[in-house]
Amino acid sequence: MLDIRGLSKRFGYGKGEVTALHEVSFSIAEGEFFTLLGPSGCGKTTLLRLIAGFISPSGGSLVLDGKDIAAMPPNRRPVNTVFQSYALFPHMTVGENVAFALEAQGRPRSEIDPAVDKMLSLVQLLHLKNRKSSELSGGQQQRVALARALVAKPRILLLDEPLSALDMKLRKDMQIELKRLQRETGLTFIFVTHDQEEALTMSDRIAVMSGGRVQQIATPRELYDSPANRFVAGFIGESNFLAAKAANGAVEVGQGRMALEGAADGPLTLMIRPEHVMLAGNAPDALELEATVDQLVFFGTDTHVHLGLADGAKLVARVQNALHGTRNLNEGERIRIALPAKALRIVNDEEIAA
Amino acid sequence: MNGPDTWRRWALSLPAVAVIMLFSILPLGVVLVYSFLTPGDFGNVKWIFSTDGWFSVLFERNIFDDTIGLSGANLSILFRSIILSVLTTLITLIFGVPTAWFIATRPPTQRNFWLFLITIPFWTNLLVRTIAVQEMIRSEGVFNRILLALGLIKEPIQMMYTDFAVLLGMTYVFLPLMVLPVYAAIEKFDFRLAEASYDLYASRLFCLRRVILPLIKPGVIAGSILVFVPSLGAYVTPRVMGGGKSMMLGNLIDLQFGQGRNWPLGAALSITLTVLVLLALIWYTRLTAGRKERDHG
Repeated sequence: MLDIRGLSKRFGYGKGEVTALHEVSFSIAEGEFFTLLGPSGCGKTTLLRLIAGFISPSGGSLVLDGKDIAAMPPNRRPVNTVFQSYALFPHMTVGENVAFALEAQGRPRSEIDPAVDKMLSLVQLLHLKNRKSSELSGGQQQRVALARALVAKPRILLLDEPLSALDMKLRKDMQIELKRLQRETGLTFIFVTHDQEEALTMSDRIAVMSGGRVQQIATPRELYDSPANRFVAGFIGESNFLAAKAANGAVEVGQGRMALEGAADGPLTLMIRPEHVMLAGNAPDALELEATVDQLVFFGTDTHVHLGLADGAKLVARVQNALHGTRNLNEGERIRIALPAKALRIVNDEEIAA
Repeated sequence: MNGPDTWRRWALSLPAVAVIMLFSILPLGVVLVYSFLTPGDFGNVKWIFSTDGWFSVLFERNIFDDTIGLSGANLSILFRSIILSVLTTLITLIFGVPTAWFIATRPPTQRNFWLFLITIPFWTNLLVRTIAVQEMIRSEGVFNRILLALGLIKEPIQMMYTDFAVLLGMTYVFLPLMVLPVYAAIEKFDFRLAEASYDLYASRLFCLRRVILPLIKPGVIAGSILVFVPSLGAYVTPRVMGGGKSMMLGNLIDLQFGQGRNWPLGAALSITLTVLVLLALIWYTRLTAGRKERDHG
């Protein structure tokens, strides 16, 4: 539905020129919950503003339903935005805010009123229709911003870190609410966030961005299980990285050695998630190592075991605190650990760059 | 509340009350009393009650047949004062709002420089500035000489001592008073709201009408009052630019206390001016109060 082809954006001139977005290309499908995820300055907001039309691209095209909209002003694009600051009109009531888009389009009153009421009941705010937007709580303002952006039935809804101003509890509620709204309306959502957990729980697909480039586009599960490079692995979830050497189809870490497919000879980096580190030796198809328990950190549902390897490398293992069967460990104890081949990933140290 | 506490409060507010009485209420009272007295032969007043001063604000007695008619001269001056003040307000609005917009949308580091330029005229005496404007438009002045040299006109255009000259002078003098409050309002305006309105299909005009103007309205109203009120009572500018031909209320009052030797009429005219200003301010509070009511309604 939306094809982004070689889209780039540079700011400034001459020596002060900064490239915020390097020729990004990907497609978003109809009805998808698509997330742009990355740390601040990664270009995700620039990409969102390009799609909204607030800035024009330095190169490339933006094709929506077969039409290039790159040169179209924002008020002509069938794309609406929920802003990080909500940007509700403070001099208008909730109802007037929601009616704004339809009024700007010159729709008749007979069409506007029922549409506004319907939208407000969808976000459960009909009873606050005549309140000033400045009198609402953060969560309510958030819903008004959503209703305002949805009322004109855009082809795509853009959400610019809409939950970042809310407290933890409200954020969790709104995540579920947003997902529900997206399912009910069947709309295509493009969601920008720096919160990986938010991205994992809500998205159909995620584009992880860094340095103005897309590092990987995949479903949350694929991103977590098979990160494309060290940046993605480090940004999404928790990871352990181990320096290894490969020779003749086997990898070597310290005194441990194991056959691993697809390992090119030479130094490489292995990644394993903390929950996959096994605190026992003698596992089949695993890399066995000797480690010292440096520290135990209790987290309620699980315990983080900080481990030190003989060569000084550090590793974290996450052990679930089951009622039975939790092994008693002591700090300073020397144990054998196993890293199953299935959980080990060879990751590229370099992120995608020029 | 009773006892020493009440007494103390009174005592503490006394200086403020004294200042207001001494500098505001008392002079106004003197003017009001004088407006009901009889003119003295060489200025000043005789302490004899008379409503002639108030009568003369709008009417005059024909010296030949004693019939009463409207005072054409006073009415035209009153009318001119109001029209010129309204026009000055409108013109300063037309030039002031875009100027304020321009300054408010510069990078923050440059804004002070532009504001500084706006305030420079305040450093010079009002009379000197007005004479500088006169120098531009008089028959041998800059404009006429340029137009003559270009061959666009054969004879200098008479611009001095016309309503146009007064209007030009007042617009020049009062423009900063419009720019500054409007600037303050625009500077506070959150431009993300304009962005949001474009995103929601608003055209530039729709955004201006429905988002920007309503939010900078308090600044525009404040600027209009700051220009309109002193325009109505302007003295120096109409004196220099309009001479005896294009007088305004301020000049008429001056005339009654000077050559006219009719202090009661001058006093009555002063009160009239005060009432006009008061009416403008009431209109202003109505506008802003209506806003607040809606804000909290």
